[in-house]
Amino acid sequence: MSAPERKIKILVVDDEVQIRRALKAILTARKYEVILAENGEEAIDSAIDSIPDLLILDMALPGIKGIDVCRELRNWYKGPILMLSVISDDYEKAIALDMGADDYLTKPFSTTELLARIRALLRRVTPDAIVQPVINAGDLTIDIAKRIVTRDGKDIELTRMEFDILAYLAQNADRVITSKMLLEKIWGPEYAEDAQTLRVHISHLRKKIEPQPSSPRFILTETGVGFRFSLS
Amino acid sequence: MKTLKRFAEKHGYLFSILCVIIATTLFSPGRDYFAKGQWAFLYLLIVGLVAGFAGVKPALLTAILAFFTWNFFFLPPYNTFRIHDPKDWLSLFVFLVVAVEMGMQTGRMREHEAEARAHEREMSMLNQFSAHLVSDAPVADIAKLMMSQVMEMTHADSAAVYLADVEGKLYELLSVTNDDIPMEKSVNQIAEWAYKQSKAVGLPKIEKRSDPSVVGWPISATFDQAGAEKERKDLFIPLQTAEKIEGILYIGPKTNGHSYCFSDVRPLIAMANQATAFFERKRLQSVAVRAEALIEANKLKSTLISSVSHELKTPIASIMATISNLTTEDMKWDAVAFQQELASVQDDLDRLTNSINALLNLSRLESEDWKPKMEWFDLADVIWAAVSKIPQKQRSRIEVNLPNELPMVRVDLMQIASALENLLINSLTYGPQDVPVKLGASEEDEYCRIWVEDKGPGIAPDERERIFEKFYRGKSSSRFSSGTGLGLAVSREIVHYHGGRIWVEDAIPHGARFVISLPIEKEPQLQ
Repeated sequence: MSAPERKIKILVVDDEVQIRRALKAILTARKYEVILAENGEEAIDSAIDSIPDLLILDMALPGIKGIDVCRELRNWYKGPILMLSVISDDYEKAIALDMGADDYLTKPFSTTELLARIRALLRRVTPDAIVQPVINAGDLTIDIAKRIVTRDGKDIELTRMEFDILAYLAQNADRVITSKMLLEKIWGPEYAEDAQTLRVHISHLRKKIEPQPSSPRFILTETGVGFRFSLS
Repeated sequence: MKTLKRFAEKHGYLFSILCVIIATTLFSPGRDYFAKGQWAFLYLLIVGLVAGFAGVKPALLTAILAFFTWNFFFLPPYNTFRIHDPKDWLSLFVFLVVAVEMGMQTGRMREHEAEARAHEREMSMLNQFSAHLVSDAPVADIAKLMMSQVMEMTHADSAAVYLADVEGKLYELLSVTNDDIPMEKSVNQIAEWAYKQSKAVGLPKIEKRSDPSVVGWPISATFDQAGAEKERKDLFIPLQTAEKIEGILYIGPKTNGHSYCFSDVRPLIAMANQATAFFERKRLQSVAVRAEALIEANKLKSTLISSVSHELKTPIASIMATISNLTTEDMKWDAVAFQQELASVQDDLDRLTNSINALLNLSRLESEDWKPKMEWFDLADVIWAAVSKIPQKQRSRIEVNLPNELPMVRVDLMQIASALENLLINSLTYGPQDVPVKLGASEEDEYCRIWVEDKGPGIAPDERERIFEKFYRGKSSSRFSSGTGLGLAVSREIVHYHGGRIWVEDAIPHGARFVISLPIEKEPQLQ
């Protein structure tokens, strides 16, 4: 007999009662433990009290904004943060991710989508710490240490920039990486705003690694925010 | 001949003296060949000549000079003013009278003729000017034309047109100076003063206000601000209608330093009056256009509100009906029927989401921050961004078929994506419900195409333009209640803004194919 499994704790922060109610219903039905908070102040208090395994945070909160809550929590909180947003604020989504949020979901969303994101985020908590030397995604193999990329066993020649972009995205697979993060990581902080150049590189990269570059399966675009590397 | 004429006009008296001296020098060697009386006729000829060239006053001087020289050189005893024959006294005085009379008549005739010619010139200039006023020329063009004609007519060194703006504040529309010397600062102040007082500045005194050519003149006034006592040599003419003053016409001092006289001012006033009517018409026109635009915008808003509230209410009503049906206590639902009902709720919710997105796009389009921000994007990303905006359930009906590679394009991604989204929603809504909607793209030499194709009945040729108009709903769409009637209009606006084209054509074998074509620029070089 194994010990009864500890329930996973999720803190839901949203000022709208309907959303809180819906999320609580959906999540408790899936055996998650749900804690609710209506605003930023409450969210920070609850996070300190209960240390949740995951945080679902609405961006448009009264008082302290979701982004600021995120920044505040990131000083000590290591768990995944999933932001909820409405369709119109792509710009803020990117800021939230730069502030340390791990993913976002646009309202209205389906239950399936929500649960998939939660599972992906929770799965990532542990293996994140270990850097994998070789990453496999379908028939694509990225050898980080040797700087070799192969598809179907054939070598693919990439420029230094292209390899760095691919390696960084793949090491953070299934996570949204904002253009700013990529640019800062690869080009340096002074290039953080040059998203156009990044897009041109990504376009070249896709033409080399994707079976069909116009319908990419590895490097997915998160419109207005950044990119996500898909392992599946 | 021309130089002679100009000289005579400018220095009339000198010309007169010279004529008499030359004539006398020429005549005197022959004074013994003709009778003494006959020389008088030759002198009369000179008087006529001077009158014709230089006008009345020099002619009178000539007459008097001739009177003395004839006496001195041709009436015996020669070279004295004394006269022997008493009959000569008589002829001498008759000569004077005739010469004076003749000089006056000829001189007047000349002056009338010159006046008539000037008048004719003014008239033709005015006619030409008014011909331009009838055309729909822009205000600045007319002001420019007026200034150049005024300067040509008066030989002024500068001119300017001031107009009142909508709030009644005077501003300088245009100004021209010879040799680009900047205009005096005081000109602006005086124009302001003249505008506020509705008074002209610098006009010559008008003797008889009853003179018909004076009726309608602006009230004459001289600018008498402290410290500016000297008479001004320039003119400020109000552009005045019966009820309102439209602006000020400024005419700088004459290049020759003379003041403006009555005959200078008359055509200027006539021209100013014509221009005033034009400026007034233009002002009223812009007021009318603005009012019309306002009415149009209000109409648009109310149509939009009614159309959108319908769009929002219908699915909500349908959801409420379904839910209340499901929650009726005495009903027992089997699982399949229950699922079906819930699926219809989901359809309605998708519809609501579409409408709200459309509304958001529209409100962004109306606010100023919807200026396209052109950046380089993968065309595939643009297409997928549009597809991802379609609610899940409808999205599954879209069959995307892209070529392996697509170019980079310089666009505003959000805008082109919503233009494409509108085409998708349009085809998903109006095409047959159970067949896929096809989405494709292609790359040509200088442009790329994105198209959305349905398997519906297609669009009749006479409707192909009109379906892109605001609130136009295709004839075949009347059986559908949904749609704001704005989607395609918004798409067209966006595509045109990007220098592209949008149209609808027949799909093969049948159906409608909506096409967006966008120009391709050269991809940016990477360092």
